[in-house]
Amino acid sequence: MSGAGVTPILEARDVSIRFGGVEALKRVSLRLMPGEVLALAGDNGAGKSTLIKILSGVYRADGGDLHFEGRPLQLRDPQDARSQGIETIYQDLALADNLDVGSNIFLGREPVRRRFGFQVIDRPHMARVAREVLERLDIVIPPRKLTGPVKMLSGGQRQAIAIGRAIYWNARVLIMDEPTAALGVPEQRKVMELIRALKVQGVAVILISHNLHDIFAVAERIVVLRRGEVAGERRVAETDGDEIVRLMVGDTYSNDAH
Amino acid sequence: MLRNALRCLIAFSTIAVAALGALPGVAHADAAHPVVALLPGVTDPFYFTMHRGAERAAKEDNIQLLFQVPKAWNTTEQVPILKAFIARHPDVLLVSPVDKQQLIGPLKEAADAGIKVITVDTYIGDGHYQTGKGDADFPLSYIASDNLEGGRVAARSLARAIGDKGTVYCENNKPGISSTDARAQGFMEEMKKHPNIKVLETQYNEDDANRAASHVAAVLARNPDLAGVFGANTFSGAGAAQGVKNAGKQGVVKVVVFDAVPGIDEQIRSGLVDIAIAQLPDQMGYYAVKFATDAIHGKKIPTYKGTGFVVLDKSNIDKSEMKQYIYSN
Amino acid sequence: MNDKRLDRLALVSKVWPWLFLGTLLVFFEAWARISAHRSFVFNAYNLQSIGLAASAPLLLAIGQTFVIITAGIDLSVGFVMGLAAVCVAQFTIPGGDSPWILLVSISLTILVCLIPGLVNGVLIARLGVPAFIGTLGMYGVARGVGFLAAGSGMTVSVNNRGLAWLGGGWTPVILTAVLLVVMHFVLSQTKFGQYTYAIGGNPQSAIRAGINVRRHLFAIYLIAAAFAAVGGVVYTARFAAGAANAGEPMLLDSIAAVVIGGASLFGGTGNVIGTLIGALIIAVIEFGLVFIDVNAFWQFIVVGIVIILSVLIDQYKDRLGGAQ
Repeated sequence: MSGAGVTPILEARDVSIRFGGVEALKRVSLRLMPGEVLALAGDNGAGKSTLIKILSGVYRADGGDLHFEGRPLQLRDPQDARSQGIETIYQDLALADNLDVGSNIFLGREPVRRRFGFQVIDRPHMARVAREVLERLDIVIPPRKLTGPVKMLSGGQRQAIAIGRAIYWNARVLIMDEPTAALGVPEQRKVMELIRALKVQGVAVILISHNLHDIFAVAERIVVLRRGEVAGERRVAETDGDEIVRLMVGDTYSNDAH
Repeated sequence: MLRNALRCLIAFSTIAVAALGALPGVAHADAAHPVVALLPGVTDPFYFTMHRGAERAAKEDNIQLLFQVPKAWNTTEQVPILKAFIARHPDVLLVSPVDKQQLIGPLKEAADAGIKVITVDTYIGDGHYQTGKGDADFPLSYIASDNLEGGRVAARSLARAIGDKGTVYCENNKPGISSTDARAQGFMEEMKKHPNIKVLETQYNEDDANRAASHVAAVLARNPDLAGVFGANTFSGAGAAQGVKNAGKQGVVKVVVFDAVPGIDEQIRSGLVDIAIAQLPDQMGYYAVKFATDAIHGKKIPTYKGTGFVVLDKSNIDKSEMKQYIYSN
Repeated sequence: MNDKRLDRLALVSKVWPWLFLGTLLVFFEAWARISAHRSFVFNAYNLQSIGLAASAPLLLAIGQTFVIITAGIDLSVGFVMGLAAVCVAQFTIPGGDSPWILLVSISLTILVCLIPGLVNGVLIARLGVPAFIGTLGMYGVARGVGFLAAGSGMTVSVNNRGLAWLGGGWTPVILTAVLLVVMHFVLSQTKFGQYTYAIGGNPQSAIRAGINVRRHLFAIYLIAAAFAAVGGVVYTARFAAGAANAGEPMLLDSIAAVVIGGASLFGGTGNVIGTLIGALIIAVIEFGLVFIDVNAFWQFIVVGIVIILSVLIDQYKDRLGGAQ
């Protein structure tokens, strides 16, 4: 795991951003170590989504800066983030429901080959990769559903495809926004397994979640945001649910029993 | 269950297509039972009245009469039906071409296929057939009201109604249709003989009564002393009458409409319309089929037959013998 | 339901337009043989007439297919077709009978008619106006401009050898077929086609995947306008005159063909071959009813029923997919 002296793979230093009159993030700092799972917690409106949008290139911070493997990082747009190896899976998964697994994995980056002198999408290649990726993640999908639109798959399977897509494109950092929010318990477990598998493969994960059980099951550290600021940072092994809740909502609402 | 039904359907289709492919060749329409196709311009009581006249003649001469109506006055509506008729290969085609230029080509196809063509109510080219000149020469006959004369009759009636002086104008469908063009022309020609009547610019409403009504309003606004309007076809007349009524000038602005549509008797009685020039579509249909029969039997038919008009107004609308001249479905 | 049954039902719902077309042909063939002693299908003139009747809305429908897949709609194609018909007539007249003028007049016509496509693109892709409303505006503008360009006659006659060749015999059908093959290739094999589907399925996902959705939608509406222009040129070629209202009945037929072919108006599905079958179904019904001497107004009812069936089967297909 991480220790002092190792360069964080992704770091935000004193990041601030405001929208109109509202200061959404106030000098937020965060470090993600290689191969670690960092949970990002906080109540609604705390600034979690805003922070990850900055990390993935959707927004540009007004103040502070980003670093990738110790070097300064300037992100112009989401494509820039992707090319650096920072992949983001939003709550809606950003899948094209009417396209098949292969098409989704390669969306925007389709492989081509020549046919009759024209550039044609290499569908056999996409299908092959789709099978391989799913195999690697140990996900079973019957062939009929593999060639059909992903709308036909279960929530967990779709989540797996989103993760598989990120892995295939050699994500170094994977940011996941509430990955288990809409899933039933068995599928939640499967997704947690996948996250552990990601760790094994050396992918660093930032996990936004309301689900304290998930956080404690898979994360090493937790950063809690409250009202645009870092309320606290804890190692999972050294804290518990009550303390996290206390950090999330502020002292006055905490559970007295500590 | 669905699966089995589909299996049966596929099986049946395959067998049927195979069987039909093996059937012996095509036979032509029997000589004893000739086939005549009637293709008017659009759905309209005028053409349904024409159809009834045609049916009467068809029954007398033992002819099978095919009848299809385009849903709009438009080349793209009439031509596909025409082609389907051609495929059906009747002996004679009676048609009201919706455009005197665009229908020349498609009707030539019919003629080339050996189908005799007679145009009713409207014509192609210049309406003069069998002269040996021009590309719209092949139809055998043109049967219609003498629309030129009809325009003159309308002008005379309107002149009489407004006391032979004042401002008038013509509401028309759209240029390019032989019948309405001729009516407008006859109207203009006749009005030239009335020096005290001023004729304003003709307005085109594309067969839309609403547009005709707003045209009347606009013309009235410009010329408050407007004395009369001539609606050169059904919707032009209906719209013009409404426009006059909306302006509160019923009876002040005289309305002459062409065609005696269903309900025209009520309209004349109530004063919505002052004069209606009724064509005789029943006669057109009747003579068209009669000519067709003659042509089938190799007899020579006249290249033109003009059917007349009946002028309907308050003075004669209630007479029982006038009822037959009102068009109906 | 077990997997094999699901598979078969899925297959049927995919091919049902073909089945229906086949059934129609068999039906009309039987009736024609029995009542009129003629063949319906085995007749070159009939096939040509049906092909010609289908080609007019089909040209519009090809462009419309792309638009509908992106969950849009283009209501202006009918009057852009009319505008094109008038334009090509006006532009060809100065060249007299020489076919060479067509190189100029047709190119110019298509260029002029790309303008409505451009405006649609700006409204919908750039300003975010809903497609229905944006193209409704162009529906009116193109109509007005078309009528103005035609002058008081509303149709413009033109006599040109080259145009007559373009509009005669099988030529319009062959031209439509070629364009069909090309666009089918584009939609099913190229990135452009893939992105069209992606945008229709989930525009947000497409944006996140780095697809330039705005530029793509722009192109889509230009394509729709271009095909409407071709439709107008073919019309004038066939009838030796450009009528401003030439495409008026074609709009709804073009949408019907796309829907019958399997597209959903919500976007994400549809393809060019399906649209072809849809257009053929409509043309066969219209031609067939007249041929067997049934009142042609039944065609409205039949086509309406076919559209309802398409939508129902489409829904059923969805439910089949979800059944797991």
